[in-house]
Amino acid sequence: MLKIIIPTIMLMPLTWLSKKNMIWINTTTYSLLISLISLSLLNQPNNNSLNFSLMFFSDPLSAPLLVLTTWLLPLMLMASQHHLSKEPLIRKKLYITMLAMLQTFLIMTFTATELISFYILFEATLVPTLIIITRWGNQTERLNAGLYFLFYTLVGSLPLLVALISIQNLTGSLNFLLIQYWNQALPDSWSNIFLWLACMMAFMVKMPLYGLHLWLPKAHVEAPIAGSMVLAAILLKLGGYGMLRITMMLNPQTNFMAYPFLMLSLWGMIMTSSICLRQTDLKSLIAYSSVSHMALVIVAVLIQTPWSYMGATALMIAHGLTSSMLFCLANSNYERTHSRTMILARGLQTLLPLMAAWWLLASLTNLALPPSINLIGELFVVMSSFSWSNITIILMGANITITALYSLYMLITTQRGKYTHHINSIKPSFTRENALMALHMTPLLLLSLNPKIILGFTY
Amino acid sequence: MNPLILTIILMTVFLGTMIVMASSHWLMIWIGFEMNLLAIIPILMKKYSPRAMEASTKYFLTQATASMLLMMAIIINLMHSGQWTITKVFNPTASIIMTLALAMKLGLTPFHFWVPEVTQGISLTSGLILLTWQKLAPMSILYQISPSINLNILLTMAVLSILVGGWGGLNQTQLRKIMAYSSIAHMGWMTAILVYNPTLTMLNMLIYIMMTLTMFMLFIHSSSTTTLSLSHTWNKAPLITTLILITLLSMGGLPPLSGFMPKWMIIQELTKNSSIILPTLMAIMALLNLYFYTRLTYSTSLTMFPSTNNMKMKWQFETKQITLLPPLIIASSLLLPLTPMLSILD
Repeated sequence: MLKIIIPTIMLMPLTWLSKKNMIWINTTTYSLLISLISLSLLNQPNNNSLNFSLMFFSDPLSAPLLVLTTWLLPLMLMASQHHLSKEPLIRKKLYITMLAMLQTFLIMTFTATELISFYILFEATLVPTLIIITRWGNQTERLNAGLYFLFYTLVGSLPLLVALISIQNLTGSLNFLLIQYWNQALPDSWSNIFLWLACMMAFMVKMPLYGLHLWLPKAHVEAPIAGSMVLAAILLKLGGYGMLRITMMLNPQTNFMAYPFLMLSLWGMIMTSSICLRQTDLKSLIAYSSVSHMALVIVAVLIQTPWSYMGATALMIAHGLTSSMLFCLANSNYERTHSRTMILARGLQTLLPLMAAWWLLASLTNLALPPSINLIGELFVVMSSFSWSNITIILMGANITITALYSLYMLITTQRGKYTHHINSIKPSFTRENALMALHMTPLLLLSLNPKIILGFTY
Repeated sequence: MNPLILTIILMTVFLGTMIVMASSHWLMIWIGFEMNLLAIIPILMKKYSPRAMEASTKYFLTQATASMLLMMAIIINLMHSGQWTITKVFNPTASIIMTLALAMKLGLTPFHFWVPEVTQGISLTSGLILLTWQKLAPMSILYQISPSINLNILLTMAVLSILVGGWGGLNQTQLRKIMAYSSIAHMGWMTAILVYNPTLTMLNMLIYIMMTLTMFMLFIHSSSTTTLSLSHTWNKAPLITTLILITLLSMGGLPPLSGFMPKWMIIQELTKNSSIILPTLMAIMALLNLYFYTRLTYSTSLTMFPSTNNMKMKWQFETKQITLLPPLIIASSLLLPLTPMLSILD
């Protein structure tokens, strides 16, 4: 695992020592190379996890997330080139350093074996993200957004620290490789109910769960493009990954403790999808659609069946790529019109037809069109929740319909119709932007040919 | 101040604390405290203004009261145990009075009222000495009598200190008052773990001193005493803004910076001793501290050019030399990976 971590750490000296005209080229190239190294982790021969050392391991759940993380860094760097072009050189280097630092922490989080180490790195990802959002965001609301982001996550995760330490006290070790074999049922008591709550609330806030999702629209809207991409694609999945790991230790309380969160998620996905239909702000629409998709993942994780775990994992990867692509598309609009209002820049298909093709593909995958992996994820979740309780099919079906509605609404508003007269002087699409969209879309389309690798450890 | 006089006074302060930390006779400890108190009054009064006089008077009165309470506790201990050696204090009355006296010296709630006002009235350098060096002597006595301290009183004072330190700092714009409330909160963390594992108190004290030293040095470098004047740092020395950001987040206890280490260790020790609600409550209250540190970073480092500055530029004198800043920065932000080395303390 050091073969991925050390090069990522070394990206930081690379940026500081590069010449002015080479920083973007150097960092993008080397981060692409690092992502190629991580692809080899996807080859897991047996059902066991690949254990590299006592501290790092990779199993069929964390390997796809790791590949997504490393794949996303070059994409983030490519997306940030335009809005940083006017900044002084030192600030560009600081930005890239923040991204590289965040990447290091994320890689170490996804491969950590010891749960306290996972916790420390989980919290450590907050600091570079906070700095990216508050320093390089564009509106004054970004200060509030940073505070909401930091404090929602911290209040949720401090009880997690106490819970992890008390579990270590009880079982003697928090090394994940051991716990999966030592697992016993938690006795039934009030303090174990609070233990369950303490363990899960951190990840619920991160996912986010519907009632605790207030930080997400703020943070996603106010962040610069790289911040939005990494937030939507990876940081939300940290919550999902944590939940998938820790629910293994929390049976049988999950059987009854999960009900309030299931209700909140099922209702919340309908509510957030519906609110997407009334959004004027493009980034805010994509942010709420993230909440809706993640609510499906929460439902899947809390039901705890093999198919739902497969659906959760596939949905996380698919949503990561789709949501990040949608943010890139929204950013390409923002860079031209400096406004996030959807109706201000409409009818773009006449002016930028290739970008319209990418918009079409992104919207189609967002609404889970077959045979994309989004569909595989959603379908598995819908089927497993149907087997858990027949009535959820109504809510799930309504959610799929409303998701289709707002995705098409977003597509039609921005692309179709007569263009507004004030945007007929926008610059045409850059090759960099088209490459960015292609690099998002290609893994999505290729994975639909072999979804086995993203289906997680219950395949 | 005349350099010879300053040297003598600083040496007396140093000697007073050393006498407290090294003695085994209770009377010598009391003498050390008095020597420390009397010598630090001129240092607090270096600026010679009515505000500084008021601050020194408040400090003198509270510390003298605390020393007298300590003397009473020593005499009660003498009456009941018949000896002057500093050991575990067996008489509960003496132990309680001693704990309250030392809490008054440290600035724990409910005896915290003097800390913000004294810190605000004196210069930045004197404030530095007040909040770091002066805490060493009472903490060393608490460490030595730790087996006999009444747990209820100490834990109540600790939790209330963390609460007061968090809430009190929320409405402050003066940097010295912010540091004072941060000191109250950190003292609360230190005394909470004193009965369970005094070594962690010392660890927390060490890291707290390093972080506070760094913060004060950075403030002295930019001669800023209010949040508004701190926001000018990016004009004068942009690198300092990054250092202020890192040190403030470290004081707030964010991983992966070294300020997280004492909090993590204290939470671990408390949880191992089966108190679960207490560390959770303490950890959440520490977030109040993090809020006003983050607010400081917002005006200092996270909003830079081309956003405008609200304050008139102050006249800039020659750059003050900060001793030992680079090692202090490293110590206050990057020590977390060295946590496994704490096993040598067992």
